Amino acid sequence: MWTRKAAFTFTGGIALILIGMMITNNQMMILGLALITFIVVNSWVSGHGDIEVQRTLSADNLYKGDDLYVELLVTNRSNRRTQLLDVYDNIPHEMKLRSGLNQMRLNLKPGESARIRYVLRCPLRGHYSLGPVSLRVRNTFNLGVEDMYVDHHSDIVIFPQIKEVEEAFLRSRTPKMYTGATTLRTPGQGSEFYSLREYVPGDPFKNINWKAFARTGDLMVNEKCRDAVTDLYILLDSRDVSRIGTVLKNPLEMGTVSAASLAAFFLKRRDSVALSIYGDGLSYLPPDTGDKQYFKILSSLAGVKPEGSMPLQAVTNSLSGRFSRGSPVFIISSCEGDGTVPAAVRDLVGRGHEVTVLSPSSIDFERLVSRIPRMSYEVLKLERQNRLTTLAGSGAQVIDWMPDMDLSQAIMQVRGF
Amino acid sequence: MAAERTKNLKRIGLQVAFWAVLGILLLTILQNFINISQSEQLSAYDDDWNDMSAFREDIKDMGIETRSLVSSPLLLADLEDPRNTTFVVAGVERDTLSFPQFDEDGFITIATEDGYSPSEVDAIVEFVDSGGTVIVLEDFGYAGSIGEAYGVRYSGYQLYDTNFVAELDYNYIWMCMQVSPCGMNGTTLDPTTLDQHERWSDVTGPHPCSELDGESMTFKEAGLCSHHWVKSSGELGRIEYNATYTMLLNNVTGLEIVPGVKGALNDVNVRAVTSNQATVDVNGDGQLLIGNEQSSRTPDLSGQFNLSIEACASSSCDPDEGGRVFFIADGSSLINAIYDYEGFNNGDYGDKNGNYGDKPTKTIPANDNRKWALDVISESLMSTKDGETGQPAENAMVIFDESRHPQNALLADSYNTVYFLLVYFTGEGLAMLALFVVLFITFEGVLLKKRDPEPWRHIFSIIYYGFGDANRYTYYAKTEKIRQVFLSKVRNQNGLTRDEFHAMPAKELVSLIEDPVLAKFAIEPGKYSLEQSVALVKRIKAWGRR
Repeated sequence: MWTRKAAFTFTGGIALILIGMMITNNQMMILGLALITFIVVNSWVSGHGDIEVQRTLSADNLYKGDDLYVELLVTNRSNRRTQLLDVYDNIPHEMKLRSGLNQMRLNLKPGESARIRYVLRCPLRGHYSLGPVSLRVRNTFNLGVEDMYVDHHSDIVIFPQIKEVEEAFLRSRTPKMYTGATTLRTPGQGSEFYSLREYVPGDPFKNINWKAFARTGDLMVNEKCRDAVTDLYILLDSRDVSRIGTVLKNPLEMGTVSAASLAAFFLKRRDSVALSIYGDGLSYLPPDTGDKQYFKILSSLAGVKPEGSMPLQAVTNSLSGRFSRGSPVFIISSCEGDGTVPAAVRDLVGRGHEVTVLSPSSIDFERLVSRIPRMSYEVLKLERQNRLTTLAGSGAQVIDWMPDMDLSQAIMQVRGF
Repeated sequence: MAAERTKNLKRIGLQVAFWAVLGILLLTILQNFINISQSEQLSAYDDDWNDMSAFREDIKDMGIETRSLVSSPLLLADLEDPRNTTFVVAGVERDTLSFPQFDEDGFITIATEDGYSPSEVDAIVEFVDSGGTVIVLEDFGYAGSIGEAYGVRYSGYQLYDTNFVAELDYNYIWMCMQVSPCGMNGTTLDPTTLDQHERWSDVTGPHPCSELDGESMTFKEAGLCSHHWVKSSGELGRIEYNATYTMLLNNVTGLEIVPGVKGALNDVNVRAVTSNQATVDVNGDGQLLIGNEQSSRTPDLSGQFNLSIEACASSSCDPDEGGRVFFIADGSSLINAIYDYEGFNNGDYGDKNGNYGDKPTKTIPANDNRKWALDVISESLMSTKDGETGQPAENAMVIFDESRHPQNALLADSYNTVYFLLVYFTGEGLAMLALFVVLFITFEGVLLKKRDPEPWRHIFSIIYYGFGDANRYTYYAKTEKIRQVFLSKVRNQNGLTRDEFHAMPAKELVSLIEDPVLAKFAIEPGKYSLEQSVALVKRIKAWGRR
C-alpha cells in the first residue's frame, strides 16, 4: 500500500508531466518523470516480513490484578535485511501496559534477533489470548507500506482474586458446620494418629514408626484416622442483571471473587467444594477436594459472563437432589429480579441445608454508574431490605454486601434480618 | 422471503439497466474514435493495395525521414523545422473529440467542424505559416475543416466526368494538372489537350528538378529528382523533367473556393479542373439529371469543377517564402494500386480481395500520380544550399497523419486513442482547463482521502458506562409503590404470610403499625405531594427500628 507521501509524489509527478506538456516545458516534464521514476525505483528496494517470532510468558494463569511479564523474540530467518520493520504484539484491550512497549521498529540483518520485553497488568478476570504479531514492512523512503502478521498466539487465564477469609467469621453462627476435616474413629487417610500396626509390604516407608521398631524390634507403622470432609455448595448468580454497576465493580465480579475465596478457604481445609453457576444456563461442578478442584473452580469462574435469566428455584429444583444431606449452601446473588429466591431458600432450608445468602447490593452498584433520585433510591433500598428480611425469615443467613465492603467484613456481618 | 427475493431482483435489475445505459453512452462516444468495423486503409505503414506504403518507401529511398502522427496534429506545433517538413493527410476516416472552445473574444463556442478540432486546425495553419507544406488528399471524409481554414470547400458529392477511364469504370477519371481541362479522344486521353503544370512548366521552370533537366548523373546523385532519372549507359543516366501530369483519380468529389472568404494564405489557385461536361450527383440517387430534366428533387450539378487547389503564402508559391497546402479531391490518389500501378498490375499488392500474387482482373493504366507527388516532395524538401541541388535538406521530413486512420489491431487503435487523448488534453484550450480541474480534484482527493496506516498503539479500554435501569426510578417514586413496599415491610416485620396479611382486618393492621400517619397512608389511598412522600419514606425507614 502506498503511503500518503507516495500518493502525493505520484500525483505530483503526473501533474508535472501533464502541465509540462500543456505549457511545453521540458524541465517540468523531466521533474515529473523523475518523481515517478523515484517511486518505481523505490518500490524495488523494499524489505520483507519473513521473520520468526517466539513469545514467552511469565505464567499461564494469573490472578486478577497480577502482572504478566512477556518477552517476544523476533528472528530474521531470511538472507536479506528486513529494512524498516515495525513489530507489534497484539494484546487484549482489557490488559494494561505497565512497563515497556509491545512494539518495536527493527532493521534486522540476516539471522539477527531482537527481544521485546514488556509487562502487562491484568485487571479483569477471563480467558485471554495474546497475539497475533502484526508486522509492518516499510520501504526505504517510507513510500510503501505492507501490513502482515505472524499467527502466533499465547493463551492465558486470569482467575478471580482470592481474598482472605477468616475462619472465625464463618463459625459465628453454626460453629460445627465449618470445621473442615473431622476425624472419624476408623483407620484411613487422615492427619490424626489412630493406632500402631505391623508393617505389611506396600506400606510407605514414611509411615514406619522407627521408635516403635527400636523398642520392639519389629517394623511397625502408624495408622491414621480417616478424615471426614464437609461438602460445601456454592451457587453463583451470573444472570444478565448481575452486570449492574461498572466493569470492575458489579455483583458478578464480587460474586466471582467471593466464590473463589470461599472455595479456596474450604479446599485449603480439605473440605470438598461444589460450584454451580446459573444465568443463561446451568453449569455444575460436582463436589471434590484438592488442587485440581481448585483449578477447575477458578477456571470456571474466570470464564463467567453475565447473561440469561434463569431463576434460582430452577437451579435448586435441579440440583438439590445431588446435595449432600445437611451440607452448607452458599448462594451468591443480588436477588434482583428473581421472585423465586425466597421459595428456593425455604426449600433448601427445609431439606436441612445451612443456607447463607451473600447478596451484593445491586442498588448501590447501580448508584456508581447512574444518578438515582434520592427517594427512588430509598424505596429501592427498602424493597431490597424487605427481600433480604424475607430470606432471613426463611431460615437463611443473609449478608448484605455493599460495594465498598471487603469480603471478610461482609461475612462478619452475618446476622438474621 | 419472497418479498426479499423480489426486492433483490429489482435492485439487480436496476443496476444492470443503469450500467447498460452508461455503457451504451460510453460506446456512443467512443465509436467516434475507435471504429473497429471499418477496414483500415490509406495508411502509409500498411502495404495493401489501398494503403500508401509505396509512396513512403519512395520518400525513404530519397533519403528523407518519414514519421507518422498517431495522436493529433497538435504536435505539429512542436516541430523544430517546419520549413523542411511535409505533412500528408490522406483520407480522414474518423471524427475527433472536441470540447467547446474559447473564441477570440474569450467566449465559449461549440465547435461544429468535423475531423479536426479548431485547435488542431490552428496547429496545422500555424505549421503552414511557419513554412511547412501540407498535402490534403480527401474526398468524402472529414478534412473539410482544414479546407475551410484556407477558403476551400469539399462538396462531398460524387463527381462524374466524361474524362473517365474506359478500361476501368466511370468512377475513375483523369485529372490533368493544368489550367485548362484535358480532353478525350474516344476512350483515351487526347495527347493534344495535355498542357504543362502552371507553375512547373518549361516556360517558368521553377521546379527544382527542372534545373537538372538534361544533366547526366548517377541515380544516387539524382536524389529527390530520381523519379525523373532515365538510365543512359552504365550507372549514368539523365534527368528528363517533364511538367505534364496526367493523374488518375477514383471516386472524386468537387472542390470549390468559397467566395468572399479569406483563408489563412493569400494566394489560392486552382491547379486542375474537370472537363466542361462533369456532373455532380447531389442527391446521391445514382441518376444524373441536368438541364430540362432537373427539378428541386434532382438538384444535380453539371459543368466544370475544380479537382486540385493549391494555397500558397506568396504568388510564386516558393517554399522559402512561406508554406503551402495542396488540396486534391480524391483521398485515394496515392494508394499503392494507383501510385505504383506497375506493381499492382503484377500482383505485388494483391487484388481487392486481399489475394497476394494474383494479378488483378483489371489493370490500372499508367499515370503520373507518383511523379506529381514526388515533385511536390522534392520541391518542398530539396536543399537550397549551393552544391546540394537534388539532395534533401538537412532536416527534411515527411509526416503522415495516421491519427485519423483506424489501426488494424485493437491494441494499436487503443494506444492511438490514449495517445490522442493525452495530446488533446494537454494541447487544447478547454480540454486543458478540464484536465487541470481533474488534476486539482485528484490532488484534493489524495489530500483528503489518502491516509497513512494508523500507528499501532495499545489502548487499555475497560472503562465504560456500566449497566443500570433508569426507567424504573420514576416508578419507585410513585405513592402506590411506596405503599406496597411499606406493607411488605409490615408483613415481614410481623412474620405474616401473604394470605394471613391479606385476610387481616384494617383495624388490626392499624394497631400493628402503631403510627397514625403511616397507618393513614396504608389504609387511605390518596394523593401526596413530593415533600409529603419524602417525609413518608423517612418515616417508613425509621419504622420498625423501635
